[in-house]
Amino acid sequence: MKIVVLGAGQVGTTIVEALHSDHELTVVDLDAARLQVLGYRYDVRSVAGNGATRRVLQEAGIEQADLMIACTSRDEINLVAATLVKKLSAALTIVRTSNPEYLEAWHERQIEVDFMVSSELEAAHAVSRTIGVPAAKQTDIFAEGQVQIVEFDVPVGGDGSTAPYRELVGLPLKDATIPKDSKVAAIIRADSMLVPRGEQAITPGDRIIVIGSPAAAREWGRIMAREQRSVDDVVIFGAGATGLAIAQVLLDEQHIRVRVVEPREDRAREVAEQLPEARVYCASGIDSEFIERERIGHARAAVFAMREDAKNLYAALLAKVHGIGFTIGIVHEPFSVAVFERAGIDVAVNPRSVTAEEIVRFAHDPRIRQLAMLEGDRYEVLDITVRESSRLVGTPFKELPMTGSLIGAIVRDGSAIFPHGEDQLEPGDRAIIFTESRRVAEVEKAL
Amino acid sequence: MSAAVERLRVSVEVGAALNLVGALVKYLSLAFLFPTALALGYSESPWPFVAAGVITAAFGYGLERMTRGKERVGIREGFLVVALTWVLGAAVISLPYLLSDEDQLSHPVDAYFEAMSGMTTTGASVLTDLPAVSRSLLMWRQFSQWLGGMGIIVLALAVLPRLRVGGRQLMESELPGPELDALAVSIRDTARRLWLLYVALTAVLILILAGLGWSGVDDRMGLYESVAYAFTTLPTGGFGTEPTSAEPFAPASQWVLALFMTIAGANFALLYRALPRRRPSALVRDEEFRLYLGLLLAGSLLLAVILWDAGLQTGESAFRTGAFQAVSIMTTTGYASTDFAAWVAIVPAAAMVLVALMFPGGSAGSTGGSIKVVRHLVIGKVLRRELDQTLHPEYVAPIRINRFTVDERTVRAVIAFVLLYVGLFVGGSVLLLLDAHRVGLELSPFDAIAASATTLGNVGPGFGFAGPMGSFAPFSDVSKVIMAVLMWAGRLEIVPVVALLTRSYWRA
Repeated sequence: MKIVVLGAGQVGTTIVEALHSDHELTVVDLDAARLQVLGYRYDVRSVAGNGATRRVLQEAGIEQADLMIACTSRDEINLVAATLVKKLSAALTIVRTSNPEYLEAWHERQIEVDFMVSSELEAAHAVSRTIGVPAAKQTDIFAEGQVQIVEFDVPVGGDGSTAPYRELVGLPLKDATIPKDSKVAAIIRADSMLVPRGEQAITPGDRIIVIGSPAAAREWGRIMAREQRSVDDVVIFGAGATGLAIAQVLLDEQHIRVRVVEPREDRAREVAEQLPEARVYCASGIDSEFIERERIGHARAAVFAMREDAKNLYAALLAKVHGIGFTIGIVHEPFSVAVFERAGIDVAVNPRSVTAEEIVRFAHDPRIRQLAMLEGDRYEVLDITVRESSRLVGTPFKELPMTGSLIGAIVRDGSAIFPHGEDQLEPGDRAIIFTESRRVAEVEKAL
Repeated sequence: MSAAVERLRVSVEVGAALNLVGALVKYLSLAFLFPTALALGYSESPWPFVAAGVITAAFGYGLERMTRGKERVGIREGFLVVALTWVLGAAVISLPYLLSDEDQLSHPVDAYFEAMSGMTTTGASVLTDLPAVSRSLLMWRQFSQWLGGMGIIVLALAVLPRLRVGGRQLMESELPGPELDALAVSIRDTARRLWLLYVALTAVLILILAGLGWSGVDDRMGLYESVAYAFTTLPTGGFGTEPTSAEPFAPASQWVLALFMTIAGANFALLYRALPRRRPSALVRDEEFRLYLGLLLAGSLLLAVILWDAGLQTGESAFRTGAFQAVSIMTTTGYASTDFAAWVAIVPAAAMVLVALMFPGGSAGSTGGSIKVVRHLVIGKVLRRELDQTLHPEYVAPIRINRFTVDERTVRAVIAFVLLYVGLFVGGSVLLLLDAHRVGLELSPFDAIAASATTLGNVGPGFGFAGPMGSFAPFSDVSKVIMAVLMWAGRLEIVPVVALLTRSYWRA
C-alpha cells in the first residue's frame, strides 16, 4: 500500500515504525531536520513542506496513494489536508484531532473523513479501561467492546490473598478456577513466553495476558488486586484537554465519583461548568497540605494528567506517600513509560502512542480489522475473518495445534463466544487471536 | 472655575430620555378610551376620562416636541426612561381620580397613592367606601393594574416601531427577574408573545368567572365583576370592586381565582413554552417553578393547619382559606377571602406566616412582585456553597439553575438586590413608625413592618387598619408618599431607581 503520513512527531514516528516494513511510506513535515532523522532510521521517502497545501501533497504523490494519515498536532491542518486529499485522489483519509466536537461531527458524518482519532479520547478510554480492571498493566478492547485483552503482573508476597486468588495462582491451569468466559493467553516468565497448557501454573511474579469478556476481565482484575472492591472514586490531577476527557469518560462509562484538581483558577471554573457531576478543586497537585485536608489518599485511584512528565511523576509519588493505592500517569515523552514503571507508578499511558496504535489498527489489512501490540511489539492481537478455504474450519478447538498462537474468542453473528474444547471454527467467524509477532504471517495463512 | 464646570456636567442625555418618556406618555392617553366608553355605557360622566386623555396626550406631545432631535437613548438613559415613565404614568392614571367628583380621592396625595398602587399592581387602597365610587372609575382602577402588570414599556415594545433599538435593556428594567429569558430572536417578538399570552389568559379567566356567574354557581359574579377581577388577577394586582375583596364570592370562584393567581405568579416565558407550545414538561423541569409550587403548597398547608387547629375554619373551608390566602400573598396579589387582619389577635402565627410569605414573591418573568423565587434559589445555593467551601477552601462550584451556570456577576447582583431590598424594607418600616409617631397615629411595629413589606413587595393589604377590608387612608400624607416610593422602587426592582441616586450614574 502507498501511504502518505503528515507529521513526523511522536505519533507519526510510531506509525512509521509500525508500518514501514510492509508499506511504501512518504512522510511530510515542515521540519526538515526531523525528516532527516526519520529517514536515517527507516526506509521512507520524505517531503518537507506544509501538508495542507496542494503542491506539497502532490509532491508527496497523493494521486497514487491508497491512504493518507494526517497526524500533525494541529487539527485544522489535518482537516484541510484531508479535505484536499478527498478531491485530489481516491486515498482513504485518517485524521488525528484533539477536539471532541470534531470527533462528534465526524461520527454524525458531517466531516468527510474515513477515520478520525482523538489522542485525548483514546488516552481517556485507555485510562477508563485500566480503572475498570484494577491491577491491569494494559488493556485493549476488540469486537466492539465484547472482547478484552488484559495484561497483569501477578503480585509477589504479601498475605492479603483472597480465596479466589488462592484457587487460581500456583495451581496447574486445568485445576485452577479461572473466571468464566476467559482464557490465559500467555504467561511471561523471566522474559520468555510459556504456552499455557493444562499442567502449566501461574506463579507470583509472572506477567500474564488474559483474553475474556469485559465482566471476566474485571473479575480477573479483582483477583489480581487481591481485594473485593473495585475502583469507585478517582482523583484527576490536571484538567487540560486530556484530564477533561478522562473525567468525562469516567463519569459516562464507569459511573464513579470523580474529583478534579486544577491549579489555574479560570480553567478550574471552566471545567466545573462543563462537568456538573464532578467535584472540581482549584489547587496544585503537589500541595501536600491540600492532599491531606481533602483526604485524597482515601481515593481508590488517581490519574496524573498535568502537562509535564516530571511533575506528574512527583505528584504521583506524593499521592502514593499519602496512601493512594493505584496511580495512573499520563506521559508525553516515549521513554517516560519505563521511568514511571520503574518508579512504581502502576500504569503509564502515552496518549500519542495510544493514538498511533489506533491509527495503525485502521491502516492494517482490511481483513484484519484490528490489531494491538503488547509488551512493546513482541505480541500482537489479530482480528481475522475466517475464510471458507481455511484448513482449520471444522476442527474442534482441543485438537488445534498449540504453536504460540491462541484463539481467544470468536465473534459469530455479532456476539462473542469464548470457545471450549468441543467448539469448532466456522467460515465467516471473526477470530480474535493472540500471537507472537513473528508468527503473524503464519496465522494469516492458516485462516 | 473649571472644577465648577466639571461638577455641573451631566453625562446622561436627559433630553433624549425625556423625549422617549414623552412619546410613551402620549400613547398612554389611548388607555382612556376604554373607561370613556364604559362611562357612556353606564350613563356616567365620561368627562374626567376625556379630559385626562387630552391632558395626557398634550403633555406627552409637548414633552416630545420640546426635546426634539435627541432621540438616541443609551443604556444609561434607559434607567431614567423606565423610572420616569412609571412616575409620570402614575400621575396620568391619577388624573381621572382628581378630575372626577369622587371625594375620597380628591386629595392629590391620595389620588397619586391610589394610582401608583394600581400601576405597580400593589393593590393597597385609600378608599374607605367602595360602593360610593362610580362603576367607570372603579373599572379604571382595575384597568390601571392590568396595564401595569405586564408593563407599559413591554407593551410599547410590542407595538411601537420606535423602540426597536435598545429595547432589550428597557424591557429588562421593567420586567421582573434577574435576567430575561428571550422567547424569540427579536425583543419585539418576545414582548408581543408575552402580551398575547397575558391577554389570552385574562380572556380565559373572564370567560370562566362569567360562566360561574351565569350558571348560577356564584350569584355575586356578574360580567362586570368577572372583568374587574380578571383585570386584577393576572397582573397579581389585588384591587377589587367589592368592599370585602374576594370574600363574597362562591368557593368555586375562589378556587378559580387561586389557580389563576398561581399562573400569574409563574414565569410567563416558561408558561409560553408550556402552554401554547404544548410542552408541559418544561414546567416540571424548571427548578424555580418547582420551588415556587413547593412554597405555595407549604404555605397553604401551614395556614390551613393553623386555622383548623385554632377552630377558626374546618374541612374544605380551612384548606380553601389557607390556599387562597397563601397564594394571594405570596404571588403578591393581595386578595382576601377573609379578614386576615383579625388573625393578629386570634392566631398570631398565621398572621406571621402571611408576612413571611410577602418575601418570596412570584417567579422571575411573572407579573408578581417582591424578591422573586429564583433569587431565593440562587441565594440558597450560594449559602450551601459557602458552607462547603469553609470545609473545602479549594472547591470550585459554579452556581447552576436548570443546569445552566449562573455567572458570578449575576450571583453578586442577586445578593446585592436582596440586601438592598431588605434595607429598603427595614428603612421603610422605621420611617413609617417615626411618621406615625409624629402625627400621633396608632401604628403597631407589626403593622408598620407589614405596611412596608406589603408596599415594597407590591402585595397590597397590610395589617391593623390597613388590613384587606380596611384602608390606607389613616396614614399621613408623608407616609403615603413613602409608601408610593416603596411601591415604585419595588415594581422596578430597585436597581433602576437606586442607580439614579448615585453619583456615578450622572457623571462620566
